[in-house]
Amino acid sequence: MFKNLFLGNTSINFYEKRKLLQNVLIIEVVFFLIVFVSASFGLLNLNFSVDFTGGTTYQFSSDYEKSDIDEILANEILEVSRYQTFENSNSILFRAVEGTQEQETQFLNYLANKFDIDANEIEFQRVGPTFGQEITSSGIRALIIFLSFIVLLISIRFQFRFSIVALIALLHDLFICTSIYLLLNFEITPSTVIALLTILGYSLYDTVILFDKLRDSQRLNKESDLSIKTLNKTFNEILMRSINTSITSAVPIASILFLGNVIGLSGTLTDFALPLFIGIISGTYSSIFVTIPFLSKIINK
Amino acid sequence: MKRYFKLLFLPFIAIGLFIYVQQTSLSPKLGLDLQGGISVILTADEETDPEVLQKAVEIMRTRIEAFGDVQEPEISISGNSAVLVQLPGVTDQERAIEALGATGLLTFRPVLDSSIDTGYSPAFQYIPNEDDPDNPTKIAVPGVDEQIGITISDNPNFDSYLLSIDQGYPVIYHLGPAELTGGDIEDAIAVYPENEWIVSLDFKPESEDKFTNLTKKLAREIGERRRLAIVLDGEIVSAPGIALDVNPDIGITGGTAAISMGNTDTGEAANNLAVILRYGALPVSFERSSIQKVSASLGEDTLNLGLQAGLIGLIIISIIIILYYRLLGFVSVFGLSMFGLLFYSVISLLGEFQGFTLTLAGIAGIIVSIGLAADSYIVTFEKLKDEIKVGRSFEFAANKAVDDSWKTILTADFVSLSAAFLLYILAVGPIRGFALALGIATIFDLLFTRLYTRNAVPVIVAKLNNTRLMYPIKNKDITNV
Repeated sequence: MFKNLFLGNTSINFYEKRKLLQNVLIIEVVFFLIVFVSASFGLLNLNFSVDFTGGTTYQFSSDYEKSDIDEILANEILEVSRYQTFENSNSILFRAVEGTQEQETQFLNYLANKFDIDANEIEFQRVGPTFGQEITSSGIRALIIFLSFIVLLISIRFQFRFSIVALIALLHDLFICTSIYLLLNFEITPSTVIALLTILGYSLYDTVILFDKLRDSQRLNKESDLSIKTLNKTFNEILMRSINTSITSAVPIASILFLGNVIGLSGTLTDFALPLFIGIISGTYSSIFVTIPFLSKIINK
Repeated sequence: MKRYFKLLFLPFIAIGLFIYVQQTSLSPKLGLDLQGGISVILTADEETDPEVLQKAVEIMRTRIEAFGDVQEPEISISGNSAVLVQLPGVTDQERAIEALGATGLLTFRPVLDSSIDTGYSPAFQYIPNEDDPDNPTKIAVPGVDEQIGITISDNPNFDSYLLSIDQGYPVIYHLGPAELTGGDIEDAIAVYPENEWIVSLDFKPESEDKFTNLTKKLAREIGERRRLAIVLDGEIVSAPGIALDVNPDIGITGGTAAISMGNTDTGEAANNLAVILRYGALPVSFERSSIQKVSASLGEDTLNLGLQAGLIGLIIISIIIILYYRLLGFVSVFGLSMFGLLFYSVISLLGEFQGFTLTLAGIAGIIVSIGLAADSYIVTFEKLKDEIKVGRSFEFAANKAVDDSWKTILTADFVSLSAAFLLYILAVGPIRGFALALGIATIFDLLFTRLYTRNAVPVIVAKLNNTRLMYPIKNKDITNV
């Protein structure tokens, strides 16, 4: 079994599996629909960070009791909307509404007094909602231009039909990521937006390598159109590369997540690593299993 | 021979640059999120003219430089109407932010006295001490610092003692109350008519007489008392003298004045002065849309997390690659290490000469690029296996594999590169640092694939005779297909 996998000689008939994969994809689409519809009816919410909603945050490290937190939630200086504690460290984060500068300074001093720390040790952040909006809108603009460019590029290098398949694989990865964020209520920060953009790059990179391999096999077999034989042969041959590549890409990111958890440091880097990790796994999956039903359609024509 | 030269070219450069960087003790310039400090985003009105925004940035830069303890402030326009101000190492948040946003007050004040002796301020008066002639009693004017003799809190309506470093050496001026303000100025431009930079100043029609009367008064004086100081927020920007041919009975008329700036520099000083005269206050009003304060300890923790994660990731990848690809694995691990050295050196150099700062997003970009770089080797090695499988000799297979995979990697990296490029152009703030790191890494990946991998793999594979040295596959298995 391993010998064949290493040799690229596995004899999986991918073409025959197209119906099964198609059904899996349909189930996934239904799942996306359910998640998105429940989100639009307000059953699930995207948990946007302070960068998108506007407000202030205060983060610091100190020993604390549950009663301290309750006391702060009930304070009369600023309205504290929520708090967050971290499992492996004594860090604590409060999120409050935006107040006047005086109120914020007062609250800062209040926290410093309460926990007996220097006010300078408290991470203070104030953000108007415009910042997150700007990142999102420039991100969406970048996305649209990028996608049109990619369709053009793949159409030139391969065929127009292939560019559509690549786009579908890409949307699949984006939807998976968004659904997981919706279901598990992870916080969305500007880093998450960057990570989503990176996933696009990963997903396309993987798909382009696959298409290139397909074209090479076609040339080798002197075919003008994709055949069942070429499809099966190529996917069997590319399995090992996909496995090795996803391991090498995922390992550094997994180590960020792992170390971040051990140190108890939840910050920009882990915000970034989580969606990337999901995206890489999903990208490897989609470049093989999502493309097959569509590539099979191309053969049928 | 030529092949050896090509394959060693990049490692040679990488090691050379790394040694140079170590010798000159350069290291990557760390962004605010990695070393602590304050980051502020100021947003202006959507419709603001980009040129006006640029002017505001210049003014803020002057102000922050005057502020003192800021290591390397970074003030840049981000997006259409926002200004990103990054002040690494600054802890006094309130003061820093006020320095940025405060509407500057520009005043013109007559010089009453001055000193170029740094130890001496016109604010001090020395009374000879009969008992100890070497130590006269020092009497300071109220409101000035006892040590340096500079007015602590400047009020333009009263006399003050202010420091100027405009001429390259410190001068403490004793200034009279303000006679004119920035509001009296219509326009100011820097011109270079003949062999000299001049800031040409236009006063508003209703202020012309005020200026003429002031110059009449000054033209009667001699020496330092003939100077008119231009003061912005308690800082002397310039203290030009009134030309000797100005008639004390007439003064400077017509509501225009020319400040001669000499011809020693490229006009930067003249332009800066013109900008300050025109927009003593910021030309647009800003809303503080984001303030972020990162403590130095959190920055350090995050940096360590990134470095440790990167290192652990690299070690695990190396082990996996060497276990699977054996000798070829060493080729790729050596290549990846050189890639890392080159990356580190280039980022350090970019930080030194281009002001490139490594942020958290940048580190994320680098970690992502490790994966991409490793993939280039995997694609090549897998292609080699396919070529050997169809019965080709090792040497021929290696040459064909590196040629074919170069094309594949070129296409795939082109996608990454255009993604990085578009992100850099279109995005704001942290996304740009990420895009730049990803873009640099992709270019290095292309270079390494073309020069290093493309030559190293054939050179090594040609000397081998057993697939077990390259893959966990026996010779007989690969040929018995």
